[in-house]
Amino acid sequence: MEKRIGVYICHCGGNISDYVDVEKVRQSVENDDNIVLAKTTMFACSDANQNEMVEDIKNHNLDAVIVASCSPKLHLVTFRNVTERGDLNKYTYVHANIREQASWAHADNFPAATDKTIQLVKAAIAKSRTTKALEPTKIKAERSVAVIGAGVTGMKAAITLAEKDTHVFLIEKESQVGGWVAKWKDLFMTEETGDMIVKQLHEDLKKRQNVSILLNSEVIGNVGSIGNISLKIKQKEEEFDITVGSVLVATGFEPYKPKEDEFGFGKVPNVITLPEFKQLIDHEKGKLMYNGKKVENIAYIYCVGSRQPEGGNTYCSRYCCTATIHAAIEARKKFKDIQNYHFTRGVRSYGKQELLYAESLQGGDIFLQSYEDDLPTVFARNNRPVVRINDILTGGKELEVEADLVVLVTGMAPRSNDTVGSLFKLPRGRDRFFNEVHMKLRPVETVIDGITIAGACQGPKTILESVNSALAAATKSYSNISKGVLETDPQIATIDVKACTGCGDCIPECPFDAISMVEDKGKTVAVINNTLCKGCGMCTPVCPTDAIDLVAFSNVQIMGMIDALV
Amino acid sequence: MKTQNKNITYDALVIGAGIAGGEAALNLANTGFKVLLVEKDDSVGGKMILLSKVFPTLDCSACITTPKFSEIARHPNITLFTGSQVSNIKKHGENNFTATIHKKPRYVHVEDCTACQKCEQVCPVNVKDQYQYNLVGRKAAYIPFSICSPKAAVIDIDNCTLCGACERACPTNCIDFTMEEEVYDLQVKTIVLSTGFKLFDPLKMPRYGYGVYKNVVTSMQMERLIAPTRPFNNVLRPGDGKMPDKIAYVLCTGSRDVTVGNPICSQICCMYSIKQAQLLMGALPMADVTIYYLNIRSFGKGFEEFYEQAKGMGVNFVKGKIGKITEKENGSLILRYEDINSGKLKEAEHDLVVLSVGALPNNEAKGLFADNLQLDRFNFVDQVELMTSPAKTNIDGVFVAGTASAPMDIPDTILSAGSASSEAISYLMKENAPQPPKSGVKVGQFSGC
Repeated sequence: MEKRIGVYICHCGGNISDYVDVEKVRQSVENDDNIVLAKTTMFACSDANQNEMVEDIKNHNLDAVIVASCSPKLHLVTFRNVTERGDLNKYTYVHANIREQASWAHADNFPAATDKTIQLVKAAIAKSRTTKALEPTKIKAERSVAVIGAGVTGMKAAITLAEKDTHVFLIEKESQVGGWVAKWKDLFMTEETGDMIVKQLHEDLKKRQNVSILLNSEVIGNVGSIGNISLKIKQKEEEFDITVGSVLVATGFEPYKPKEDEFGFGKVPNVITLPEFKQLIDHEKGKLMYNGKKVENIAYIYCVGSRQPEGGNTYCSRYCCTATIHAAIEARKKFKDIQNYHFTRGVRSYGKQELLYAESLQGGDIFLQSYEDDLPTVFARNNRPVVRINDILTGGKELEVEADLVVLVTGMAPRSNDTVGSLFKLPRGRDRFFNEVHMKLRPVETVIDGITIAGACQGPKTILESVNSALAAATKSYSNISKGVLETDPQIATIDVKACTGCGDCIPECPFDAISMVEDKGKTVAVINNTLCKGCGMCTPVCPTDAIDLVAFSNVQIMGMIDALV
Repeated sequence: MKTQNKNITYDALVIGAGIAGGEAALNLANTGFKVLLVEKDDSVGGKMILLSKVFPTLDCSACITTPKFSEIARHPNITLFTGSQVSNIKKHGENNFTATIHKKPRYVHVEDCTACQKCEQVCPVNVKDQYQYNLVGRKAAYIPFSICSPKAAVIDIDNCTLCGACERACPTNCIDFTMEEEVYDLQVKTIVLSTGFKLFDPLKMPRYGYGVYKNVVTSMQMERLIAPTRPFNNVLRPGDGKMPDKIAYVLCTGSRDVTVGNPICSQICCMYSIKQAQLLMGALPMADVTIYYLNIRSFGKGFEEFYEQAKGMGVNFVKGKIGKITEKENGSLILRYEDINSGKLKEAEHDLVVLSVGALPNNEAKGLFADNLQLDRFNFVDQVELMTSPAKTNIDGVFVAGTASAPMDIPDTILSAGSASSEAISYLMKENAPQPPKSGVKVGQFSGC
């Protein structure tokens, strides 16, 4: 039977149609073989258009649908579901990305963008002609989650998952829970102290029968995929395996460590970092002393290790402005004769934290602000640190402060140890923190199904924000496994046993260890483990006899697409 | 007006179908709970669906919002009420809440309406279009906006003259003036409050001339001017329809300002202004855009880089608070400000001024409750366990999501909604679980607990 294909070309509200002549694209494909219907639409993804597509499928007896719009990362699933509602097999749906690959990429050349779009749509049509109905693979999901990292984020995630009748393995490489927050006393926006919060969460965890806290433990192996992930754990000298349905990564951050002589660090006396200063004011009593001398003038230098020029940490660490303002207020309240000088690059006490900034100003703290291309300098004079600045707030005056203590407001940096990231193949952003699927709408999910990220391993966060992300990630991890059965895409590699010569060239190429050699009718051949294979296609090009083919990206389909493109 | 009384039961009631409520409803529904999502407006989507693009990804807001709401609309576990108000929420015990829902008549049978807009064409009434933030007009019989959901006409009965033209024009006979308000008695086990925020009304700051000078607009009006579903298909200044070429942004309008009663920072205005500036430089390549700021707060993931990108594109950043705006005869505006870099008072002329208005609490949340819902000192919903359970309110079983508790951007809203739904699921399961859960895993084999 001849295929009956419907094609929709999306304006994307101007994102495509401002650069691509969508009507010309429509006209150039409407008379192609198998094309029953070709339409343009303002927003293919809108509810109204989705309903129209379902109607079209029925009224025109379509058996395949193509939408040419944005990246399939955004809407492949959306349109597969539309075809399913039109009673088609959802794997017959083909997506053409004409936004990221044409209109946005060639915004400087409209005719070329239109020509490329036409080719991309024609390639999609070529693929569509040979698509076949497929059934999703069903997997039984383990009702358990591994939470990696037992800081506040990991602890909170573990509690909320345990409340949902889910077994949790809380895996921590240190000998105790609590991460950085366990070391902190006073916090901003709350009367609670860091160690109190950790204690409270720990007490809660200890009461729960379905939480296994694994201290001194690291994940060293990972096999399987969403629903059934087998992790190898190394606990001191011992090694054992656990099986979970989902993994929640909460490996946190590292405080930025200033370089030698960065704002005098390690060279000028009495220059310390913010975490060191927090420890100092939390533990000193009566008088604030440093190196045997009383501290009165304190200079805080902001954005150390944050907002650096290209090549450094270009991001803002978000928590440090308010953390510093708060620590300075605490120091002033707790010790006598303290004068705080804040050398800022513009204070970012966002939201309700603004009140702390106001309190700081009213209490007599002095704020200065440096020019972006002229940061403050720290040097020693008579064995005492001096900070010099050209201050915006006094119209560019050069000012000096002789300080007893200089506090470098160090930001959050991603973990330098990438064991967990590389084990789960988690992508990192330009800032080297773990990357989410979508920055706006899917901030705790990763491109690896079943693996979620929470807390500061995704980017700098306050405790409140980390806890919110812990709960959000736990919800997503839980919804992966809550139904007990999972559907995954059947797009995997297959091996033609007759053509396979058993050379084994494909085995080292597979990043998921999904291929092994077996004896079949007196012949050694390669075989694919369907639950491990992700359909990445690494094995297909190395096969000397073309015995390996990918379901839904078959050699025939790819060749057809190439023919349409060239 | 007659009312019908219908008793309905759900696991969860989610109040407010903006992005926070939508995300929370989906999380609950995807884990098997029955959700009633109630929205007082005639369309779901809240403020996000009306935005142009979002920072720092510059994703088209409509493109990423509509599929989510499409999923909500057809989720088997979600029932959606638009044009409906919740009131009289009472707690009778754990997992036992009652509430009343007033579903106001739309005067259109949504299931029959094809959104053909014939009623719009014949309606003789012109009023300001609230979805375009009063930049243009609409009819009394109208489709709220082009990507609204449900996509169906609505009759604005307050402005309708009852002439009957729409009824006669409607090809499917879906317009029905006999519809009445429906009242439902609702029983639910848990509640998520996602009532969102209000924008600061710049009429409260007469020195900026909003409402008097036509070329002073709010940032939300600018969102509409540059959105894909924009009213003019171009960026035009409202005073005379001229394309602006010297645009000013006034940050912290109604934020960080005790004189208007809002001492806190709204968290979003710096970034949306920077985003709009970038979009304007694309839409109007010859235009100059200047942002007058106190501090630029680009603190989120990718935000600082986005700010640097705007500087690289040539957006002008001037540190200084605008004292006063006056209008010239040609409709252009003179901004008087303290230029902090030079320490001098200065004046600058712009032909369009955008007031970056702040986010204020939605005061309606408290009124939904017969019980006492605790607010914080700014009138946001109080988060009683701020550090360890940020979604908890003073009423056990009622959780807060998104900007109902504090100003926040979209990623933080998604996290907050995830947080609220997680707490709500736990709360629902606590009641449903008769025994301690069996996990089938031997705990004893691991040390270090």
